[in-house]
Amino acid sequence: MSRILVVDDNAVNLDLMLYLLRAFGHEADGHADGLAGLHAALRGDFALVLTDILMPGIDGYEFARRFKRESHLSAVPLVAVTALAMSGDRERITEAGFDGYITKPIEPRTFVAQVEAFLGRDGP
Amino acid sequence: MDPSQTLGEVAFSLADLAGTRFPLLEYAPDATILVDAEGKIRLVNAQTERLFGYYREELIGRPIEMLIPARYRGRHVGERKGYYGDPHVRPMGIGMELNGLRKNGSEFPVEISLSPVSTREGTFVSASVRDSTERKTLERQLRELNAALEGANRAKDSFLASMSHELRTPLNAIIGFTGTLLMQLPGPLTAEQERQLEIVQSSARHLLSLINDILDLAKIESGKVELTFEPISAKDVVDAVSSSLAALAAEKQLEFTTHVTVDGEITTDRRALTQILLNLTNNALKYTECGSVRIDVRATSYNEKPAVAFSVSDTGIGIKPDDQERLFKAFEQLDRSNTRRYEGTGLGLYLCRNLAQLLGGELMVTSEFGKGSTFTFTLPRAR
Repeated sequence: MSRILVVDDNAVNLDLMLYLLRAFGHEADGHADGLAGLHAALRGDFALVLTDILMPGIDGYEFARRFKRESHLSAVPLVAVTALAMSGDRERITEAGFDGYITKPIEPRTFVAQVEAFLGRDGP
Repeated sequence: MDPSQTLGEVAFSLADLAGTRFPLLEYAPDATILVDAEGKIRLVNAQTERLFGYYREELIGRPIEMLIPARYRGRHVGERKGYYGDPHVRPMGIGMELNGLRKNGSEFPVEISLSPVSTREGTFVSASVRDSTERKTLERQLRELNAALEGANRAKDSFLASMSHELRTPLNAIIGFTGTLLMQLPGPLTAEQERQLEIVQSSARHLLSLINDILDLAKIESGKVELTFEPISAKDVVDAVSSSLAALAAEKQLEFTTHVTVDGEITTDRRALTQILLNLTNNALKYTECGSVRIDVRATSYNEKPAVAFSVSDTGIGIKPDDQERLFKAFEQLDRSNTRRYEGTGLGLYLCRNLAQLLGGELMVTSEFGKGSTFTFTLPRAR
């Protein structure tokens, strides 16, 4: 199955996403630090990258800016998983270059399907 | 002398106008100064003495420029001559910013209105001078107040945004891990574990809807709801509401039907309309133990314009007449003892009525206690 990178500064939420993805047979790595997550993402061995937006250090917007300027990663979908769920947030996040937007709290039953849709659309 | 005569009728000499012989001028609330073609002061009233701190004997025959600060004088002479060439009435608040100069050397901001005055001695310019210190101060205070209010509004918006984010973050873990347990991903559950976890899950969802309702409300109240008016089909909205609540109706073994008898489109905000109908229908299902819930959509008129009435009727507990208005207030669930049985935020109807008004419609209730209720949302077809 595909390798998925998950970046979230909240250890519990990171744990939840990794647990769910692995329970459904995906190979998933996690980082609680935005910069470490970005470095991992830039190495390029992931089929999909999920990241939180509000993080200390490098936030999701900066993450997207630096991720999206790498041409060798143009086929890798970048999806925001964020508790920023007020009106206008989706637009801001899409404008920042994200390919997808999932709001927290995630619904465990649908989260995996949402993520798999991104893999199916753009990935192997 | 007849005081009913106006100054413009060439009736007066300067002497007629001076002092208490012409009280209208002498006691005018503004300082009034008559100036001749050479710029010399020919007549002043009592308020001029008070405002500038001179006795009138010290002013008469002197250049008007003595009453303005030195830095303005050169320019003022030019302007004064220009005005004499083309005398006309110039009201207060127009023209350059100018300061007055008191005898003691202090300055103050002034507003000046000018008008030509004909007398037997010729045409003079009458300048009415008003101390605008107070107005300027008020204006500045108003600007500061406005800036403070804008700041407070921004602070409120950013507070709402952080609230939303901060409350959702822990809920993500609660709803998420309850979900993984209920999906039995870590291992099988006993029936009792499952029952208790379902309580955790529904409480967490309740908390989430409470947070959403409160934030929606805050947005409505600060005028921040973004509505998109577009042509939509009433039937589509009703179908969506019906399919998302069919499971709840089935669970309670209630007959749940929809009857749409309008054609064509309505111009409104789909999200707000859906939210209203979802809320009303969800309430109907919640407060009905047996019988039926039905949604009717029919053509009607509202304020003499074509409209559509969405009615949600139930055979539930009903509402006493006295309680029917109280129903639409925030955090009013009619019977406090019911709150545990009927889980809700207590904000739903309040929100619905606010949204209904934003859409230009109205939300009403008719009910018979013990027999059921009908909530009707009347929505104009066009915006």
